[in-house]
Amino acid sequence: MSDRSGSSDSLDDGTSEGIDGFGDRAPSDTDGPSRTGRLDSEVRQGSPYTESQVIMPTVKVVAPFAFTYGLFVTFHGGGSPGGGFQGGAIMAAVVFMIAFAFGIEATREWLANTVVVGLAVGGTLVFAGIGIVTMTQGGAFLQYELLPVPLSRINRVTYGMEAVEILGIASIVSGVLMGLFFLLARGFSSEGGASGTGDSTARTDGGDDR
Amino acid sequence: MSGVDLVAAGSVPQPVIAQVTAIEASLFVFVVLTAIVTALARDVLAAVIVFGAYSLGMAALYTFYRAPDVAMTEAAISAGVTTILLLLTLAKTTRIDHEVAFESVNLPAAGAAGLLFVGLLLTTAEIPAVGDPDAPAWSNVDVTQWYIAETYAETGVENAVMAVLAAFRGFDTFGEAVVVFAAGIAVLVVLRREVFA
Repeated sequence: MSDRSGSSDSLDDGTSEGIDGFGDRAPSDTDGPSRTGRLDSEVRQGSPYTESQVIMPTVKVVAPFAFTYGLFVTFHGGGSPGGGFQGGAIMAAVVFMIAFAFGIEATREWLANTVVVGLAVGGTLVFAGIGIVTMTQGGAFLQYELLPVPLSRINRVTYGMEAVEILGIASIVSGVLMGLFFLLARGFSSEGGASGTGDSTARTDGGDDR
Repeated sequence: MSGVDLVAAGSVPQPVIAQVTAIEASLFVFVVLTAIVTALARDVLAAVIVFGAYSLGMAALYTFYRAPDVAMTEAAISAGVTTILLLLTLAKTTRIDHEVAFESVNLPAAGAAGLLFVGLLLTTAEIPAVGDPDAPAWSNVDVTQWYIAETYAETGVENAVMAVLAAFRGFDTFGEAVVVFAAGIAVLVVLRREVFA
């Protein structure tokens, strides 16, 4: 779609109002006599991000530990609770954390679309590939002991499972979750462009004009 | 759960929880309260946040009942990722300040929910007690006990849950992984975008 240049910077504009996008009660003039509440959607949609001197250092400290924990859960799934799914979700949550501390748009630029797509697609291909390789060896789907690697039978099973968990499931889960996060942050409009701009007239319906 | 004659375990150590402990009881109260607040909160933002707390309470409860794999999934996906995605969605929508904190209770809906609750409650008499070594899901020689006995010899990993997911039921897991992948593609299609941005 042809919208990447036009609106990609809209989230960083006008950050004077709105505290990290959530829970803020930005003072805005009310409109409509029937509504007593304040409608601050345009403030939210325009600027979900404000630098916070509390959140940024906190995330700076916590993120490495959380990411390491995600890696541990992923790589140590064979010996302790957890596995690729949980570890992938934790690692994606670290990216969410960074995005809320340093801005979704900045995080999106730092973590290119290629990485997100590569994780999701690559994970699926690795998972399917391992299964199909064992089928080409005359076995069943994911019959790990037939993997053509120079290891003992039990190690072929163990490392085959770890490969599926780490390279397959963790990649898919973290990639797709990050992708959903970035997509939801961008939003939707019927023109195929991103929301967040041009909604200043749509004060009462709260959604995208169609 | 008390009053059930818990038979002594055999060779395999059995999880035995004979009494409802204070931690367990407070977790139950917390989970029920947060669930009610989630259903009744008028402000969607408040409902989402309390729902996250509910998920965290459920994760603690799963940990307490020795299902750490489920607990980690609940904590990471339900309490973490889902809450963040819901908050992100709310940030995109209009939020109205409400004068009152809670919805008024819709009596027909509450009646239907109450009937369902009573119906489910009636089935609990048939559910084996927590830690009951004779529970079918546990004492089954061909399935559960076989996995517990054979997993390490067959796969070389100690976590039977992971062994079931990645090896014994690997094809099912492949289907689930593809569903996750397809969810990402589906959102791209629905939003009419070609990049995750």
